[in-house]
Amino acid sequence: MAGPLAQFEVHTIVPLQVAGYDISFTNSALYMGVTLITIMFFMIGGMRKVALVPGRWQSSVEMCYEFIAKMLGDTTGSEGRKYFPFIFSLFMFILAANLIGMVPWLHTFTFTSHIAVTFAMAFFVFMGVTIIGFITHGFKFLMFFVPHGAPWYLLIILIPIEIISYLSRPISLSVRLFANMVAGHTMLKVFGGFVVSLGALAGVMAAGSILPFAFIVALTGLELLVACLQAYVFAILTCLYLNDALHMH
Amino acid sequence: MPQLDPAVFIPQIFWLFVIFAALYFFIAYSAAPKIADVLKKRQNVISDDLAIAERVQAQAEQARIVFEKSQSDARDAAAAKVLSKREELKAQVEADYQKLSAELSANAQNAQKEIDAAKDKALGEVRDVASDVCAQIITKVSGLNIDQKQVSKMVAGKTSSILKGNS
Repeated sequence: MAGPLAQFEVHTIVPLQVAGYDISFTNSALYMGVTLITIMFFMIGGMRKVALVPGRWQSSVEMCYEFIAKMLGDTTGSEGRKYFPFIFSLFMFILAANLIGMVPWLHTFTFTSHIAVTFAMAFFVFMGVTIIGFITHGFKFLMFFVPHGAPWYLLIILIPIEIISYLSRPISLSVRLFANMVAGHTMLKVFGGFVVSLGALAGVMAAGSILPFAFIVALTGLELLVACLQAYVFAILTCLYLNDALHMH
Repeated sequence: MPQLDPAVFIPQIFWLFVIFAALYFFIAYSAAPKIADVLKKRQNVISDDLAIAERVQAQAEQARIVFEKSQSDARDAAAAKVLSKREELKAQVEADYQKLSAELSANAQNAQKEIDAAKDKALGEVRDVASDVCAQIITKVSGLNIDQKQVSKMVAGKTSSILKGNS
């Protein structure tokens, strides 16, 4: 039987090499595509017959839209509105990826459990936000690292702390999502393994597999919550970083 | 952990970039504008409907005011009419009463006059009868041929004093 970490293995489906770089189409890329198609299906399907009074499907699409629009408006105000498509895409992408990863039996692959993927997203957000900060405020954006009202001798300590905390943002942002997904999926797999190994025991002992099975049911509910929550956390932190870049303090 | 194998980094990041870019363009240029459009249309319809409702309500309020005003005007007019009619009738009754009472008092006066005349006439006749009777009695009793005129004078003086005492 495969170990609990086997679910995170990346398999090449179509090997590709461009200029010496390996850009093979893998199961990870496949599930990114599945995520994209799912979101497109969800949105096109929901908006195919737009009604003044929306049906269930259209209502769901509108709810996602308004949820992110409200979140972005609350955190960044009107200046952040032009970044809405990005935040909306980011939220929907992570949410759909996490939820697709929760589908049982199909050996679905959760690419948000890969630090390379989450760090690439977080680093992109970090770079984008930093560039927006410098474009909006010029070199005054460096004042972001100088806390207001602190005496000069404290600044010697505070400025490095501020810089380190700023630079650690992409790490905390990516590791939070990555660690949550890995932990949840590993736990599910471990307890799934318990069900199988207990169920393989002879006679009455096999009934013991009920316990880890019940735990998996509860854990699946929790993981669905985590899947939504982490997508939300990633999106709202991106909004907050964007707000820092737009308005500084 | 398979995630920490550097061999899986580049292909995943490459496809992430490609697919996320596709998703971004789909959302930015197709899905989001469509949803925003629907939401805006709905908002417009709602605000239009609210504006219409407000206008109609104002009209209803206006109509109510007009109705109440006309109602109170009509009530006032009716009251005034009743009052003036009452005054008119009162005046008429008063006039009729005055006229009738004048007529009646005139009639009463005439009747009084007639009664007085009849009384005077009757008294005159009584005087004549009395003086005749007196003369006859005197003639019969005394056998004197008494002057008629003197007797009637005496009777007249006596009767008038009696009548005076009576009346």
